[in-house]
Amino acid sequence: MGYLFDPANWEWLTAGSNLSFMFEGFLINLEIAIIAMALSLILGLGLALLRISKRTWVKVPVGLWIDAWRNLPLIFIILYFFLTLPRGIKEAYADWAPSFFPEAFQTPAILAAVIGLTLYNSAVIAEIMRAGIQSLEKGQGEAAAALGLPNAKAMRIVILPQALRRMVPATVSQLITLTKDTSLVSIIGIQELMRHSRIVTNTSGSPFTGSGVDAPLLQVFMVAGVMFIAFNFLLSRLSRRLELRERRITGVKVEPVTGLEEQVAQSSAVP
Amino acid sequence: MSELWDVLVRHFPEFRSGFFITCQLVAISFLVAMGVGTLIGTLRASPSRVLQSVGAVYVEAFRNVPLLVLLFMAFAGLRRAGVEISPMAAGTLSLGLYTAAYIAEALRSGVFAVGKGQRDASLALGLTSRQTLAKIVMPQAFRTVIPPLGNLLIAMIKNSAIIGVSLGLADDLLKQARLINSQTFQTNEVFFWAAAGYLILTIPATFLVRFLETKLAIRR
Repeated sequence: MGYLFDPANWEWLTAGSNLSFMFEGFLINLEIAIIAMALSLILGLGLALLRISKRTWVKVPVGLWIDAWRNLPLIFIILYFFLTLPRGIKEAYADWAPSFFPEAFQTPAILAAVIGLTLYNSAVIAEIMRAGIQSLEKGQGEAAAALGLPNAKAMRIVILPQALRRMVPATVSQLITLTKDTSLVSIIGIQELMRHSRIVTNTSGSPFTGSGVDAPLLQVFMVAGVMFIAFNFLLSRLSRRLELRERRITGVKVEPVTGLEEQVAQSSAVP
Repeated sequence: MSELWDVLVRHFPEFRSGFFITCQLVAISFLVAMGVGTLIGTLRASPSRVLQSVGAVYVEAFRNVPLLVLLFMAFAGLRRAGVEISPMAAGTLSLGLYTAAYIAEALRSGVFAVGKGQRDASLALGLTSRQTLAKIVMPQAFRTVIPPLGNLLIAMIKNSAIIGVSLGLADDLLKQARLINSQTFQTNEVFFWAAAGYLILTIPATFLVRFLETKLAIRR
C-alpha cells in the first residue's frame, strides 16, 4: 500500500506528455470500438433475423455460424485473421488507407482487429437480438398477421420496435465488453492504450516523453484501467437513463433480456 | 485433408498439454472467482450501507476494466514493485478476480429475484437476518443463478486464452497453437485444431446451460 500511494511513484502522471500520450492511445481504442460496434450491430441484426427464419436451410447454417464464432475466444479469432490475411489484401489496404487516418489505422493489422471484433460481437449480439425477438408474446405477431401485415412489415413496425427496447441493457453491456476487448488488439501490435502505457513505463526518463521520472508499471496500468472504467461507467449510466426515460414515456417496465454470457450481470445491475 | 490429420498427429502432445493447461487455468480461476464472488455478492446484499458500497466499488472497478490491464498489473506490475508472483498465480488470480465481479452481480440479482415475501415471512418467524440469508434466500437464489454461472464459466474458458498469449503466463492451448504455428507455418490446420479444443469445452457447456435454464427455472 505504501508503494502504491507513494507520491514519488505518481510523479510521472504530471511529468512531460505522459498522460496525454496515454489518452491519445485510449482514443484509438474508442475509435476501434465505435467502428466494431456499428458493424456488429448491423451484422448482428441481420444474423438474428436469418436465425429466426422459418426455412431450415437458412436457420441451421446461420445458427452454426453464430454458435461457432461466439464460442471461440476473441483473441483466438483476432490472431487467426492476423496470421492468415492474404498479403494482397494487406497491401491493398496499406495503399488505400488515407493519410489523415491515425497511425494505428494505417497498418493492415487493423483489418484483423476489426474483422475479429466484428465476427465475435455480431454473433453475440445476434443471440441477444434473437432472445429479444423471441421473448415477445406470440400474440403480437399473430395480431399483426390478423391485421393483414405482411411478415416483413410486421417485423419492422410491430416486433422489432418492442424487441429492441428489451435488448438495450444486454446490448449495452456487450458493447462495454467490446470496448474492454479493444485492448486485445495490442497483441497484434496496434498502437493503442496498452502499447502506449508500456512505452510510458519503458521510456520514462527518455527524451521521448520528456519526463525524466520513473513511471512504475503498476501505477501506469492503473491509470489505463481508470480510463476504461470511466468510459464504461458513462456507457452504463447512459443505458440506465435510456431505460428510465422509456419507462416514463410508455409507463411500462420493460422486461430486459438476460442470460447471455456476461450480460447477465449488467442487465440486472439495478434491482 | 491429410495435412490436417498430419498436423494433429505430429503435434498431439503439445495440443494435449495446452488443452489441459487451459482446463487447469479455468478450474483454478473459477474457484477463486466463486470464493471472492460469493464474498462480494454477500457484501452487496448485506444490510450495512458501508459494506454494500465496498461491494459496489469492487464490482464497478473489476467489471469495467479489461482483463489485459489486470494481467499487466498482477504480473509485470507486481514484479516491478518487488513482489515475486508466479506466472500461474498472476494469471489465475487476474481471471478469478475479474470474473468474481460478474459472479457477485449474478448472485445478487439471484438474491433479489427471491420474493420479498419469503424474506418477510422468514423474519416474521423469528429467524435472524443472517439465518434468513443462509437458510431461506440463498438456497433459492442458487437455483436462479446456476444458468448465469454457467455462462460465466463459458466466458472464462474464452478469456483464459488471453493469459497465455499476452504475457506468456501459461502454455495454454492458444499459446501452444502459436508455438506450433511458428514451427510449421500451417496456420489454418493448427488453428483448426485449437478451435476444436476450445469448442469441445464451450459448445457442450452452452447446451448444458440452455438445458438447465428450462430445467431449473422456478415457476412463479
